[in-house]
Amino acid sequence: MYENIQEYLAQLKKELRGSDPALIQDALSDAEEHLQNALEETLKKSPQISEPHALESLIEKYGTPAEVASAYKEIETRIQPTLAPTKPSKKRSFWGKFFSTAGESRTWGAFLYILISGLTAVVYGMWALMGGVFSLCSLILIIGIPVTGLFLFSLRGIALVEGRIIEALLGIRMPRKPIFFRRKLNWRQKYKTLVMESLTWKIYAYLILHFPLGLTYFLITIFLLSLSIKCVLYPVWFWVFGRPLITINQPFYPEGWSFPLIVILGIIFLFSTFHLIRFIGRFHGRFAKLMLVRKQEQTFPQGSS
Amino acid sequence: MDRSNDVNKKFQKELNAGTAALVLLSILAQADKPLYGYRIAKLMESGDKGTPMMKQGALYPVLRSLHQSGLLESYVDPSVSGPPRRYYKITDSGLNALKSWTKIWNQTKTFVDQILKGSSHV
Repeated sequence: MYENIQEYLAQLKKELRGSDPALIQDALSDAEEHLQNALEETLKKSPQISEPHALESLIEKYGTPAEVASAYKEIETRIQPTLAPTKPSKKRSFWGKFFSTAGESRTWGAFLYILISGLTAVVYGMWALMGGVFSLCSLILIIGIPVTGLFLFSLRGIALVEGRIIEALLGIRMPRKPIFFRRKLNWRQKYKTLVMESLTWKIYAYLILHFPLGLTYFLITIFLLSLSIKCVLYPVWFWVFGRPLITINQPFYPEGWSFPLIVILGIIFLFSTFHLIRFIGRFHGRFAKLMLVRKQEQTFPQGSS
Repeated sequence: MDRSNDVNKKFQKELNAGTAALVLLSILAQADKPLYGYRIAKLMESGDKGTPMMKQGALYPVLRSLHQSGLLESYVDPSVSGPPRRYYKITDSGLNALKSWTKIWNQTKTFVDQILKGSSHV
């Protein structure tokens, strides 16, 4: 028999050990939402029942941790994120693999993410920097405490939004529900949890690091894509506008015989850029998962779920 | 006895895997406002007079699966005083899927019923 919901959640977490951390976070969040609602309703209807007894009948309906964990694991295998990595076909040749990347949705998802990163890098970076500085400065006044609390709380919201963008575009499974505080905690305890939990600071670090990373992804991608497209279209560019291929101190006009070579090099360069875009998507997805999802090895936090 | 129970449980689980999505779509299609997980579970409970069709905990991943497929839309109602609730609402594609699935379900039901009736005469 479980004494309280936390014991049940701890057991559920054990049963889900080894699963995707984002899935564990969602499963715990669902279970807590359901059991808290059900427990409140039961205790309101029959106040004479003790919490462990009420929980016993609720868990009978909700499912034991093993049953619930098994349902999540089973269904998760059927609902991979839309752009989740697929196993590459072994039959394809090197060139087949090299060129097929342009037709894969993951490449375009990562490309879109990089384009969005150009904007989110600035927004997140400014929010983290200005919000952090403002919160720190306001701490000398009494209003500093709620201001800092609200700022740190906003980081969790941003983490959820960023997680949803990453899952949709990069195909990396991220939490689908926000992290919340336990209902019985008072404001002081909630504040302490927010400040003490390492996840809050990991999210903060992510937002700060996203600024240089996002801008770098954006600028490198735009530069490489425009350069390769220019090479591919150079014959047209030269015949129509008479412009040089590149200008470093002085304009460089390649010989006419080298045009086909420049086009071929441009095509190879373009497809290499697509591979780089995919690599950036994979790398950033893993980085985001490390920073924005609670590490499931750590003990179950007392204040939030 | 234990083995027979296990086999029954396995059969029930396999059956639920397909029907849970249909039941959830149907409940959300009949609802006049968005519903959250616990409310859906209560509605299922009120309609379930015999043995419960499935554990309530298994509803949530199915809801996510339907949401992921675009058959449901959802929003989170944040709350600083407790867990946020995710409200679900059926989409137009969800309504279309429900129509097709109901048709398939009726065909399957008729087929299985016919076979079961037939087998009783064997």
